Amino acid sequence: MSLLNLTVGEFVALFSAISAVLIALYLLDRTRRRQVVATLRFWKPAENISTKRQKRRIQQPWSLVLQLLGIALLLLATAQLQLGTRNHIPRDHVLILDTSAWMGARSGRGTLMDHARLTALAWLRTVPAGDRVMLLRADVVATPATPLEMNHAAVESAIRDSRPGAAALNLDSALAFAARIQKLHNRRAGEIAVVTAERVADADSAAAFVPNNVRLLQIKAPADDCGVRRMGLRPSPSDPAGWQVLVTAKNYGSVACSRELVVEFGGAPVGTRTLTLRPGASEETTFSFHTRAAGWLEARLVGEDAFPEDDRALLEVPAHPPLRVTVFTDDPGALRPVLAANPDVIAAFQPPSSYSAGASADVVVFDRFAPSLRPRAPSIWIEPPPGRSPVPVRQSEDAVRLVRWNNDHELGAGLHTRDVQIDRAEIFSAGPDDIVVAEAEHGPVIVARDESTGDPRSAVIGFNPVRTAMKYELATPLLFANLLRWMHPGVFRPLEINAEPVGAITVRLDRNSDPKSVRVAADDRRPIPYTIQNGELRFFSGSPGTVRVYEGGRELVFSLSLPEIGDAVWDPPAHIRRGIPRGLPPESPVTETWPWLALAAAVVLGAEWMLFARGRRQAHVIRRPQSITERALRRRAS
Amino acid sequence: MATAAEPLIDRKLLEKLERLTIRWQKSFPGLVGGHNLSRYPGPGIEFLDHRHFHHGDDLRAVNWRAYLRLEKLFLKMFQVEPRVPVRILLDTSASMQTGEPSKLFYAKRLAAAMCYIGLVRLDTICIQPFSDHLYDSFVASGGRHRLMPAVQYLATLEHGGSTDLLQVTREFVSSYAQRGLLIVISDFLDDADPVKALQYLADFGHELLLVQVWAEEDRTPPWDGELDLEDAESGARLDLSFDAAARQQYTEAFDAYAAALERLALSNSGRYVGVSTNTSIEDVIFGPMAHARAVQ
Repeated sequence: MSLLNLTVGEFVALFSAISAVLIALYLLDRTRRRQVVATLRFWKPAENISTKRQKRRIQQPWSLVLQLLGIALLLLATAQLQLGTRNHIPRDHVLILDTSAWMGARSGRGTLMDHARLTALAWLRTVPAGDRVMLLRADVVATPATPLEMNHAAVESAIRDSRPGAAALNLDSALAFAARIQKLHNRRAGEIAVVTAERVADADSAAAFVPNNVRLLQIKAPADDCGVRRMGLRPSPSDPAGWQVLVTAKNYGSVACSRELVVEFGGAPVGTRTLTLRPGASEETTFSFHTRAAGWLEARLVGEDAFPEDDRALLEVPAHPPLRVTVFTDDPGALRPVLAANPDVIAAFQPPSSYSAGASADVVVFDRFAPSLRPRAPSIWIEPPPGRSPVPVRQSEDAVRLVRWNNDHELGAGLHTRDVQIDRAEIFSAGPDDIVVAEAEHGPVIVARDESTGDPRSAVIGFNPVRTAMKYELATPLLFANLLRWMHPGVFRPLEINAEPVGAITVRLDRNSDPKSVRVAADDRRPIPYTIQNGELRFFSGSPGTVRVYEGGRELVFSLSLPEIGDAVWDPPAHIRRGIPRGLPPESPVTETWPWLALAAAVVLGAEWMLFARGRRQAHVIRRPQSITERALRRRAS
Repeated sequence: MATAAEPLIDRKLLEKLERLTIRWQKSFPGLVGGHNLSRYPGPGIEFLDHRHFHHGDDLRAVNWRAYLRLEKLFLKMFQVEPRVPVRILLDTSASMQTGEPSKLFYAKRLAAAMCYIGLVRLDTICIQPFSDHLYDSFVASGGRHRLMPAVQYLATLEHGGSTDLLQVTREFVSSYAQRGLLIVISDFLDDADPVKALQYLADFGHELLLVQVWAEEDRTPPWDGELDLEDAESGARLDLSFDAAARQQYTEAFDAYAAALERLALSNSGRYVGVSTNTSIEDVIFGPMAHARAVQ
């Protein structure tokens, strides 16, 4: 005998509360029955007795007993009292199926996932038909695959459709979710069956609190696995066309492994190392190579182990061409040092007579020369002839002194030189959309114009910085660097590419970077939520793909292609049950009693109403008083 | 359940009442008639005694033979067979409306039966309703054929007012000088002490036949629990919690009151009959009334 909808404790608590309220109502107040009587003469002696007993006795105790009985029957009907063995009371089970990346590891003839599916199906077959089961696929997040389902075939189908993911297992959140699900539903909580290979993301992901109803269905993990944990690619600080490759490999197995790490770019070997890793140890290896071309960079651990998916990391290396600058000048020696200072710039010097509007260059510099046809590439004009300058020249002044740089714009960033005396300079009439980079006492002397006019970006310098006193100022190469970066920002942007496992990614930001300039986007430019805390940017991606982080002038590319394998192994507590239960007890019929209980409650409450609430007169045995005359006659007759 | 449309008395009962006679124990002066002998002289057939003639006496009663022998006028006196009026004081107060059937309906039936018994024996029956004062009476005499007007009169009586036996006694004594049998049919539920009023009637010379009518709920209230009681006559209210012990106390008080009424009747050579409305009229008349020798 058992209750389906309530526990015994809940039933007792509910019945006690209702009974207490009912008895209190009986004691405190009872609706007075109004009655017209012939006289109050004889009621007054009775009043004394009844008043004395009123406070210590429940009025109409049988009415109270009947009402309590009726309520108890109703509660039992609501709780669905069943006559039968306890094992057949329907319960709610949650099956946590580990779908972390590690479940793709090979073990024996199949993967760990294959074994997990078989184990889960075996456990499901031991669940009684009336029980409900929810399948929870767990990796870094717990995702219900089915609701609490009484149709076990649907759960079985969901188990068969389960595949390993790309993230590590967070068992703590999965167990908490399962326990919460069981608590939310008002049925008897069944088991939380956990089918797992016990490898969790980190120590925090291991279950700190394990409910008592957990059953561990352990999948034996393979002993040998070494894999690439991370691969990073960043430009070489010494070689403008060079790259540095950082590969981290880790031994996830329980035996030492010795593997050869091969790094190739576009099929050409970059380097090879032999790694010998102790169990749980990781090692970082650095490689360098030189290229400006785009291609695929691959790091590969040669050999076979249980989990080949993490033996290979692949990165897409973007092309890194230099900036081609064509200078039309009669004096190439003056500007050569300025442009040669930047390793990413290749400058070509040509006489003005060889100018062609279709010249193939990324940036064109005109030194005291103005072509009749404007170039199709961005251009820098140095002392253009007054009548042919792209920005109108207002006047030419001698002994001009620079008074202000526009440090608020990226063109004036880092330029602080002042009070430099320039022998002669052109003063421009800047339009409202023009960017004034530097101003003299008489007006703008360096003006930039963006694409808003329909032409490529251009900048006009009203003096020759390499022939005046500016030649000795630090501002001169910085000015050219700012102009070239503004015209082709992609060439000079620092680039960092990393191959990471999916999941939570943490990026340390520059100290001087503005958090407002940070942007995180997927490959399809879809923004990805992120947080910045203590100078660290964090975002989460649960599926493989590429994520770009823009931070001021820096760009970081994360190729989330590596499977995330947990760093820690869960150590389950000793008290939990383990393995597949042996089998069900023999079936015995369960008798539903709630219709009869409800009927009995109705009969009891109806009887109480008929007897007490309706005020039906109770039958009293009344003995007629014997008069004095009758007594006398009776005595006389006797 | 009896209703107002139900006849007060039926033919079958009347046939059974034919052989009964209303009995009284005292002797009252009155006219010839009826079946109760009188010790008082008066116009009659049976010789009783002689007395001296006084001025104004009827000359037809003078014993002329004695005058011839003794030369003195003696008057012959005859035993009177009095037509002593039988008066039925019928309580129609509001308290008589309680009970099922109501006590008033039951009292009307009892009064009709007593009226028929008297009419069969050529008694004169005076039906006098009252509550806190006397209402218009109805006198029936001259034989059984005068029953129907009496029954019709009884049927028209309605309940109302509160019982005031002392006031009723005063009015009764002042209205009816002639003593006689006084049948009081009432529940005697007067807030004032009714014993004093009844004693006053007895002291005045009436022979009392007290018929106390009660409904079962008057003696043994069937209700339990919290009660809000209202007096049918005064409208007074009383809240109390009632249970078996209180019921027993109530019944004892009621029985004590009935015993007091019975003692009053017996101590004044009268009779007392207590009847429940659950008892049939026939059972009452041939039972308690006959035992009390109210009828014979």
